[in-house]
Amino acid sequence: MGNYFIRRIFQMVFVIWGVVTVTFLIIRIVPGDPARLMEPPGTPEESIQVIRTRLGTDKPIPQQYVEYLANLTRGDLGKPFRGGTSVTEVIAAKLPNTLKLGLVSIIVATTIGSLLGVIAALRQNSLIDKGVLVFVALALATPNFWLAVMLVLIFAIQLHWLPAIDMAGPESYVLPVTALAIVLLPLIVRTVRQSFTEALTEDFVRAARARGLSERRVIFLHVMKVAAIPLVTLVGIQAGFVLGGSLVVESIFNWPGVGNYTLNAIQARDYPMVQGCVLVIASIFVVVNFLVDMTYAFLDPRIKF
Amino acid sequence: MTDSIPNQSTKSARGTPRGSVTEEAAPRATTGNFRALGLFLLRRKGALFGLVGTVLIALIAVFAPTIAPHNPLELDITQGLLPPIWNEGSAPDHLLGTDALGRDILSRIIWGARYSLTISLLSVAIGSSLGFFLGLISGFFGKWVDAIIMRLGDIQLAFPFLLFAIAVLAVSPERNIWNLSLVMGFAQWIVYARLVRSKVLSEKEKDYTRAARALGASPIRVLVRYVLPNSWQIVPVVAMLQIGGFVVVESTLSFLNLGLTPPIPSWGAILSDGRQYMVVSPYMPLLPGLAILITVLCINLASDGLADFFDPKLAKGGFRRYPLGLLPELHEPQREPLLRVRDVTTVFPMEEQVVTAVNRVSFDLERGQILGIVGESGSGKSTLGLSIIQLLDAPGRVVNGQILFQGKDLTRIGDHEMRQVRGKHVGMIFQNPGSSLNPVLSVGYQLRETLQRHHTLSDEVATRRAQEALEAVGIADLQRVLRAFPFELSGGMQQRVMIALAMSCEPELLIADEPSTALDVTTQVQLLDRLDEMRKKTGTSIIFITHDIALLADFADVFMIMYAGQVCEMGQRKQVIEAPQHPYTKALLDSVARTDVPGNQRLAAIPGDPPDPSEVPPGCPFAPRCPRVMPICREANPGIMTLGAGHTVACHLLTAKSA
Repeated sequence: MGNYFIRRIFQMVFVIWGVVTVTFLIIRIVPGDPARLMEPPGTPEESIQVIRTRLGTDKPIPQQYVEYLANLTRGDLGKPFRGGTSVTEVIAAKLPNTLKLGLVSIIVATTIGSLLGVIAALRQNSLIDKGVLVFVALALATPNFWLAVMLVLIFAIQLHWLPAIDMAGPESYVLPVTALAIVLLPLIVRTVRQSFTEALTEDFVRAARARGLSERRVIFLHVMKVAAIPLVTLVGIQAGFVLGGSLVVESIFNWPGVGNYTLNAIQARDYPMVQGCVLVIASIFVVVNFLVDMTYAFLDPRIKF
Repeated sequence: MTDSIPNQSTKSARGTPRGSVTEEAAPRATTGNFRALGLFLLRRKGALFGLVGTVLIALIAVFAPTIAPHNPLELDITQGLLPPIWNEGSAPDHLLGTDALGRDILSRIIWGARYSLTISLLSVAIGSSLGFFLGLISGFFGKWVDAIIMRLGDIQLAFPFLLFAIAVLAVSPERNIWNLSLVMGFAQWIVYARLVRSKVLSEKEKDYTRAARALGASPIRVLVRYVLPNSWQIVPVVAMLQIGGFVVVESTLSFLNLGLTPPIPSWGAILSDGRQYMVVSPYMPLLPGLAILITVLCINLASDGLADFFDPKLAKGGFRRYPLGLLPELHEPQREPLLRVRDVTTVFPMEEQVVTAVNRVSFDLERGQILGIVGESGSGKSTLGLSIIQLLDAPGRVVNGQILFQGKDLTRIGDHEMRQVRGKHVGMIFQNPGSSLNPVLSVGYQLRETLQRHHTLSDEVATRRAQEALEAVGIADLQRVLRAFPFELSGGMQQRVMIALAMSCEPELLIADEPSTALDVTTQVQLLDRLDEMRKKTGTSIIFITHDIALLADFADVFMIMYAGQVCEMGQRKQVIEAPQHPYTKALLDSVARTDVPGNQRLAAIPGDPPDPSEVPPGCPFAPRCPRVMPICREANPGIMTLGAGHTVACHLLTAKSA
């Protein structure tokens, strides 16, 4: 266990270094001079040169890279190009809102998804099961930004039931959480239904029944505990979807989070900001996956490292 | 010298596990088979619907220039924001209305299909080719090449897909079909690379590949000639499954203004435009969204269906329920044994036919008695055990007969009452102790849980009783075993824990279903001693199910020999072991006497195989293998004849003798 933990930490550090390097390179390697892209066409060369100096892109790439890494070790993600004192500060202020939204979405989706998955697995080929599968197919095909727009249209604009934008009070969570959860739900339902179905056919289920245990105990303890393990892995993937999806959903609901801010930075062509946001989001994803792997190891006593 | 190597390879190639051979043969056998695909689609309505839908949408995309009633870019400010045709104020030549700039929405959606599908297909093509190539060299060359590629993959996976695409597109000066597809497709390479790599790794170890390398074929030749042909099949299946996702990603990007440069019509962009006017014209965001939903739904249904067709491992057959047969009149039991089984028939209704696994079996079991049920696999002996405890796998069910346990018919009491019986009055031990214990619950937990289920016990008392139960099966290291998870114990220990679990509530009846198969000979003997001891102490009756008659020779009081779901001989130990009457019993005993090979090997001494339970021949089921078969044996089932006290035999030889 200890060894695995250390190995996994090393791996995580390596991947984060890779993420840092890739985000660094994306902006510099893609054809097109960021300094030129940041200003409208026709801007005189001198002003562009000024921007290059401010961005640091006038220096040779290896030197930029070393400086960038050096700054990072001090937690310095650079200065935003348009307003604000430091990228780190801006992100630190927005991040909690993104995490809150993401966490609530994951909890809601996991609860409802597991429930539907278990019901479908227990009543296989029944009407409920078929209904759940139809829902899964529809949800998988629903683009979440469209759902977000429709939710705003119906519940905020037409019915005036819920606020359409901004983060204010619990009711403002309803629509964005729905829009994010719709992406996660079908995956969770599918995974739970599958792993539950598999666990139900295991020998230990019959053995547990042979000991006269109540059906509730067999299903919700013996089967659930084994079937829940794949669900944990899924949370890692979910984190990716939520972080990616939060870009779109936060922007539609004007949620004061990192995702929304990233898109604004892209629109404003604020490259230091974009770079910082991408780095932070990707790093969170890496760390979440690390935590998921660790939880996995604790949940399943069979895993030996 | 050179000759011997190919010979060796062909020899061992034949010896490859059956699974891998069929795995390779399957796609080849099915790809060309359009008829089979047609039949498959008729069965899978969803896949058919999806396929038809996908083809229609693809046709719309291809013929967009001719189908679209207007030029999607044609502006006409005077005709701006017209509602769809079913609303008031619409114009007849704009079926779905117009956007703010007066562009025809229907035409824009039709053209959107063209761009969306083109980009999605291109992305899949780029991602899969790149991933296939990298996976191939990663798996084939291994070492540092593999290490670098796989670590790059870790980094790629660290980026949420959409974020990666957005980050790259945000700095791209221009966004056309090509660079959009490149960015979207590129991020997916690792998905394919991992799959192909693992396939290549297994291909590389196949004997024919090794032989080719031993013969000195160049690596490139080995790669192209041997590894490549068997590694690519997975790619199109996964690619198909990804197309739908790409349609969503493409529209998301264009919704964020990071898709094709406006004014090119893309579903996401149309939606984004419509969003600004949704208060006045709710259809504007609704319609392009529906277009995406329907397209993705069709593609997903079609690709799921096709993936199942090409990868039949995922396909599963349904079953139908078999109507419960009429129960015969109840006979009043004269005296009451612990267990009285009468005329029990257990069937498995399958799609094609009904398989009778247990056919009209009757027996009595007295208190404290040990009954040995002996038969080959498929003889119905395990099904009989599961019928008694009412834990048959679906769709199996007892359709006839009675199972009277302490006077109660277990086939007629409800689930709830049956659960009171299981564990408390009837315990069961299964064949694989390893998989019959819950892997993620500790031994102590499982014991306490069982005890507390049937008795009201405090945790403390339950723990003490759990320790006693473990002690009773001869476990000395109590504290460790209580805390242990099943996988931490040896096979013999797991078996003891299973027995402890089954015996913890001191049931009147213990059913042991091949409990010794997974154990070595010494442990087998210990197991029997243990069970015998427990029987003497608690007076528990035991049904011991096994294929190994020799194992029970000194152990069981009563023997029941089963063949093809029927009882061929039953009697006291003395009667069956010392004076067997049925040719099958004799053959079983002879094969034991003749050879000393352990386990299943003994039965090999009887020529032929037991009949397939779904096609038991008329007459005596053993007739095809019987050394003393007579013409009548093939025509009529002998039925059960009583020889002496409790000794019954189902064989025509007896009537032939007496006649």
